[in-house]
This record gives sequence, structure tokens and C-alpha cells, in this order.
Amino acid sequence: MSDWNWGVLIALSGGILAALLSGIGSAIGVGKAGDAAAGAVTEDPSLFGKVLILQLLPGTQGIYGLLVAFLTLTQIGIMGGSSDFSLVKGLMYFVSCLPMAFVGLWSALRQSKVSISSIALVTKRPDQSGKAIIFPAMVETYAILALLISILCITGVSGLNV
Amino acid sequence: MAILPMKRIHIYALLEDHKQILELLQQFGTVQVEDDLQEDEFFSKKDLTDEKLKLDRDITMVSEALAVLNDYAPEEKSMFDSLKGKQELSFADFEELSAKYHEIFKTASNIKNLDRQIAESTAAMYKLQLQIDTISPWGRLDIPLQFQGTNSTAALIGTLPRELSHEDILIQLADLVPEVEGLHLDIISADHQQTCIFVLCSKKQESLVEAALRSIGFARPAIASGDKAPAIQKAEWEEEYENHRKAINESKTAIFSFADSRGELQFLSDCLSMRMERLETSEHLLESKRIIVISGYILEREAEALTSALYNKFLLYMELSDPSENEDFPILLQNSKFSEPVEGVLKSFSLPGKGEIDPTSIFAFFYYILFGLMFSDAGYGLLMAIVCGICLRKFPKMENNMQKTLRMFFFCGLSTLFWGAVFGSWFGNAVLVISTTFFNNPVSLDPLWFEPTQDPMRMLVFSMGVGVVHLFAGLAANIKQSAKNKQYMAVLYDAGFWYMLIGGLIVLALSSEKFIEILNLNFIIPENIGKTAGIIAAIGAAGIVLTAGRESRNWFKRILKGLYGLYNVSGYLSDILSYSRLLALGLATGAIATVINEMAAMGGTSIGGVILFVIVFIAGHAVNIGINLLGAYVHTNRLTFVEFFGKFYEGGGSEFMPLGINTKYYKIKEELKS
Repeated sequence: MSDWNWGVLIALSGGILAALLSGIGSAIGVGKAGDAAAGAVTEDPSLFGKVLILQLLPGTQGIYGLLVAFLTLTQIGIMGGSSDFSLVKGLMYFVSCLPMAFVGLWSALRQSKVSISSIALVTKRPDQSGKAIIFPAMVETYAILALLISILCITGVSGLNV
Repeated sequence: MAILPMKRIHIYALLEDHKQILELLQQFGTVQVEDDLQEDEFFSKKDLTDEKLKLDRDITMVSEALAVLNDYAPEEKSMFDSLKGKQELSFADFEELSAKYHEIFKTASNIKNLDRQIAESTAAMYKLQLQIDTISPWGRLDIPLQFQGTNSTAALIGTLPRELSHEDILIQLADLVPEVEGLHLDIISADHQQTCIFVLCSKKQESLVEAALRSIGFARPAIASGDKAPAIQKAEWEEEYENHRKAINESKTAIFSFADSRGELQFLSDCLSMRMERLETSEHLLESKRIIVISGYILEREAEALTSALYNKFLLYMELSDPSENEDFPILLQNSKFSEPVEGVLKSFSLPGKGEIDPTSIFAFFYYILFGLMFSDAGYGLLMAIVCGICLRKFPKMENNMQKTLRMFFFCGLSTLFWGAVFGSWFGNAVLVISTTFFNNPVSLDPLWFEPTQDPMRMLVFSMGVGVVHLFAGLAANIKQSAKNKQYMAVLYDAGFWYMLIGGLIVLALSSEKFIEILNLNFIIPENIGKTAGIIAAIGAAGIVLTAGRESRNWFKRILKGLYGLYNVSGYLSDILSYSRLLALGLATGAIATVINEMAAMGGTSIGGVILFVIVFIAGHAVNIGINLLGAYVHTNRLTFVEFFGKFYEGGGSEFMPLGINTKYYKIKEELKS
């Protein structure tokens, strides 16, 4: 088997890992927050709009994972174009995806816990929903930072000549 | 552009005018009555718990009647109803409806009664249905179920479990009680659950037979038919059932005929809730035998109109004064059309506390810009601005809050349009994909500046640059606030030194070749300017060390506190880095839009391909708009609340809530005031 195949395979697994782990994290997170949201709506149906936002917050990690995976796919030629690069470069793509994969997973899980607490807050004090949204958004900061570094790495690696 | 000034108001009036004065205050809607008066041996507050309870019962009754009406005669509703705003009621209509007050109240209690009848009939029907089901198997029996027998015979009427034949039962009985003779058995009906039997035997042997039957599961029927045969009893019950059904239908028709009174009921509900508000206010007033005292806050600009109205109509004495310096007066904001829409965002954080400025006009501008940078697609922005614009145009009477929200998203949409055009994203790369796939002639809309996906580093630097400007604006607001409170030294200590330190460090960094290389910038600040900036930053740092702990008298403590204050520079670093989310969220919008376009174009140019394209394009972009709208909204709020407000604003003020007409269904026109 020739050398470049391995490079593409490893790079692809990085991208897939980002989508996979972030997606799992978000699915669990949105699921748990959804349970809490449904409970809140049984108490007071008019809260629907407010708790829906809170339920959706842990869902963004999945989208960031998708984004990183997609960027990787376009860079390594899976979506068309050339995929002629070395094993080292493939490994570089792989590690570039790791921040998003891991931070995406854990931040989604943690964020869902904060979301659930915020849903409880909104049930008791519907007028405080502005503040309730900020708490889960704080956790998301780290997912955004991971997304940022993953994107910078992937676009940076593609310019390298190794 | 600011917090509206308030005046303290005290009104001393005759007790007999009590009701009319409160009504007048409610119509004006400019006075917030406070509960800050002390009772003494002469003046006391009235306990209105009973009145409130009674009124509360009436309010519940009317709202339940409305709910019943909506159940049986649903109101026609359209999606846009929430945008239309409340129906307006002219003064003449108001008077006319007020005169019909008792009549409307009667309608409400009629509706409630009808609903109760329906509920009772439904329960009765359920019970009857059960009885009918239970008695049905006995239809063939022509004597009452409770028939005990004659003088010399005993009748045993009841059920056996399972389906049994005449023969089965006789064999079993012969087995159990062989001594019994002359026994008559009739099977009335049998199904796979039970067999209904009628047994006749001589009276002497009754106990023997019954014991034998019980041992194989005999049970008397669970239902009585009085002195009638079951079939007749069943027919009677069926008739009763039918009567209830008719009664329900009649009640439903009767409720339906009240559909035209819905408006009147809604008016009544509004009337009662207005009265409730007056009643709740009355609890805060001081009363003697002849006099009432009202204490509260009034908008300064409205004071004159109210004063003359009160003096014209009533015999009273009134005092207006400025609130004392340390007083926490209620807050009402007034801003321009451009910045007013974000007042809601400020309210969801907190209204300005004591000595704080109204930051709305400062942060509104940045709010729109940050939102646009994160949503960053010209197509989406255009769509958003058009939708909001049309709604605002078409429904001029919509609720104030709704209108503000739509206006906020309208401005956010314009900003998104602008930044989308700057970064060349129109529904992602839709133009390129469509022209390539369907017309074989690649056309792309060039960005006005650059494409962030091509040059993310540049976008990152730009994002942080925006962050520095935003933070510095926050510091400027801090200066404005300190100046307002006449703390002129704080201007230098809390803002000036930080400007020097952060600004100096940035300029110093920009003069270093290594830093320029990392950021990929194409300019460099000359070394000597960089050095001067370094000195300025050092002065700023020294100033912070000396002054950040200025409340402490002890110099040692003060310097330690100062050093801790300087440590806050790391806070500035993380604040600036936090603006990298502008890049990340902006990229996310554009990249997902691109994925959608490419997926949509996979079907090729056949008719099926075109249909696939349209479906995927619309559904995909709708989802992308939903997700990124949420993201942009949440993170714009975060940047505003945490990074920007962190520099000067704490909040803690309470909202101005005047006694007013806070109705649910109708808006009473202004002319009522005159």
C-alpha cells in the first residue's frame, strides 16, 4: 500500500472524530436539557420559547464538530481535489481536529448541566431568562476557543509543505 | 438617552374622593404608588384582604368562562394575531360597556353554569354506560334481578366464571350435592368471561345449593334492577342516557350562542384586573376618618399635567419634591429610535442602579455590529431585515415590546447585511454554486474586503481589534459615569491608567517584528514609537499599583491590593481573546451555508436535481438561520454583559411600574384622560 493513503486515512479519522465526539456530546446534552425543558413546559406552557433556547444551547458543539469535519474533508481532497500528501501531514490534520473533538464532547456535557439548572431558574423566575442564558453560554466559550484553534490549525497545516 | 428624572409626590385628599382619585391616577398612568408610609394612632392602612379575595374569585370566574367559551366556540386565530396588538376601545364604547357590567357578569356565570352541567351530565353518562353494560347480559331474564323466590322455592340469580353449558353446570352440581333434586337451571346468557344463570330449587335446599354454587365461583349480580325486569331497567337507563346526551348538546349550543359576547367578557376581565390593580394600590395608602394620603413617584415631565388635573377635579393638597441623593428611585429609560430596541436586552441584565448611567445608547451601536459580525451572511441579513421591516410596516399597532424586538432584529439584519457583503457571503457561496451547477458559468460575488475562510488569521486580528474598541468604549462609559458622580480622580485611576496600560501594550506589541509575523500583518509601528508606548504602559501600570487599592489607609495593604489590581491585566487579555468568537461564529455560519449549497447541488441539473436543490436549499438555510441566529443573539448578549458591562456597569435598579391600565385584551384610547 502506498504511503499517501495512510495520510488521508489518518486525517479523515481526525475530522470524523471531531464530528463524532462533538455530535455525541451535543446529542446527550440537548437530550438531557430537553427532559428538563419538557418538565418546565408542563408547569407553564408560556415558557416554551425561553426554555427552548436553553435546550438548544448544548447543541452548538455538534455543529462546530460538523464544521471542523467538513473543513478537513475539503482540505484533504475527499470532497474533490487532490489528496496527495504525506503521512506526517495526515497526522497533523488528525491532531488539529482533537481540540474540537474532546472539548466539544466535554463542554456539551457540562453545558447541558448548566442549561438544566438555568431551566429550573427560568421556571421559578421567568423574568430572569436573560441572565439564565448567560450561564450556559459561559461554558460554550471553551467550545468556541477549541473550534477556533482547530480551524486555525487545519487551514495552517494545509499551507505547510511537509 | 437617559434615565428619566422622577419626582416624589404626596397627595393628601378627602376620603370620599378616594376611588375617583385612584381612577384618575390609573388613567394617567404616570404615578408609581409606594408603600413607604408609617402608620400611627391617627392614620392606618386598610386591610383589604376580603375585598381582594372576592375580586380574585370574580376574576377567576370570568377567565374560566372565557376559557370555556374558547373550548366550545374557538376564536379564529391567525399567525399574525400576536402582531396586531390589542383592540382599541373608544371612550363611548367604554362607557356603554361599563353600563352593561352586571349583564356581562351574568353571562359569565351562565357560561360557567352550563359548563358545570356539561361536566355533571358527562359524569352521569359514564356511570349509566357502565350500568347498561353490566345489565345487558341479563336482558333475557323477565323477572327482577333481586328476585328471591316464592314461598316454597328459592331463586339463585348470579354469574359463574367462564363460559359453561347447561350440562357442565348440572354435572358439577350433581358431583357436589348429589342429594339435591328437583333443581331448575336456566342459562340467561354466556360469553367467554361469564355465564349468567338462574337456578330455582326448593327453599329447604337453598343453602346447600348456594354453597355448592359458590364453591364453583357463583356470585350475585353486581347490579340491581329494583322491581323491574332487567330489560325494562336497561331501557330506562338508556333513555336517561339519551336525555343527558341531549342536555349536553343543548348546553353546548347555548354556550356557542354566547360566542358573540366574547368581546364583552374580555372587557369585563380587563375591567376587573384594572380594579384589582387599584385595590392593590389602595393597600398602600394611609387613611384616617376623613383623609387619605398617597405617596409615590411621578415622572417629572408629567407632574404638571397631573397636578392641574387633580386640583381641577378634587379638593386636595399635593406636594412635589426631588428625590434625595441616596434614594433608589424607580427607573424609566428613554432613548432614540435607534438604541431604544436594545432596552429589552439591558432589562434582561439589570436596570441602572444608584449613580449609574443608562448605557443603552452606547452599547446599542456595538450590539448591532457584533451581531452582524457573528451572523455575517448578507442573504440572511437581508431576509431578516425585510421580514422585520414588513411586520413593522403592516402592524403599526403591535405591542410595544414586540415592536422593540422586531426593530432590534431589523437593525441587526441591516448590520448582518453589511458585514455579509464585506466578507462576501450571500447565502454562503450560493451564487457560485448555482451558476456553476446550472449555468456552467462560474460567477462569484467578490467580498468588499476579504473572505474570512481564505484568511482566518486576518479575521482573528480584526475580531480582536473590534474587541479592543468595544472594551475601550466600556472604559469611556466608565469615565462618563465617574464624571456624572463627580468622582474626577476615579476617571484617571479606573479608566485613564488602564487606557495607558492596555493601549501602550498593544502599540508596543505592534512594534515587535515577531508579533507582526505571527499575526501576519503588513505594517509595523516604528521602534521608537513602540518604546514610548512601553513607557506609557509602565506609567499606567505604576498608577494602577498605587491607586487600585486606594480605599486602604495602610500603605503595605494598599500596594498589595494595587498589585492585585494590576493582575487584572490578565482579565483584559482574556476579554480580548473572547472576541475570537466573532471569527468562530462568523465562520460557522458561512461554512455551514457552503455545506448546504454543495449538498443541494449534488443532484445535478436534471429536473429531479433542481427539485432536490430547491428543497435542500430552503430547508438547510432555514435550519442554519435558526441555529446561527440563536448563537449570534446569545453571544452578542454575552459580549455585552460580561466583557462590556464588566468595565463599568452593575445594575440593580428597579423598573418604574406606575399604576396604569395594564389590560390583556383592550387598549383604552387616550381620550379617556380628558
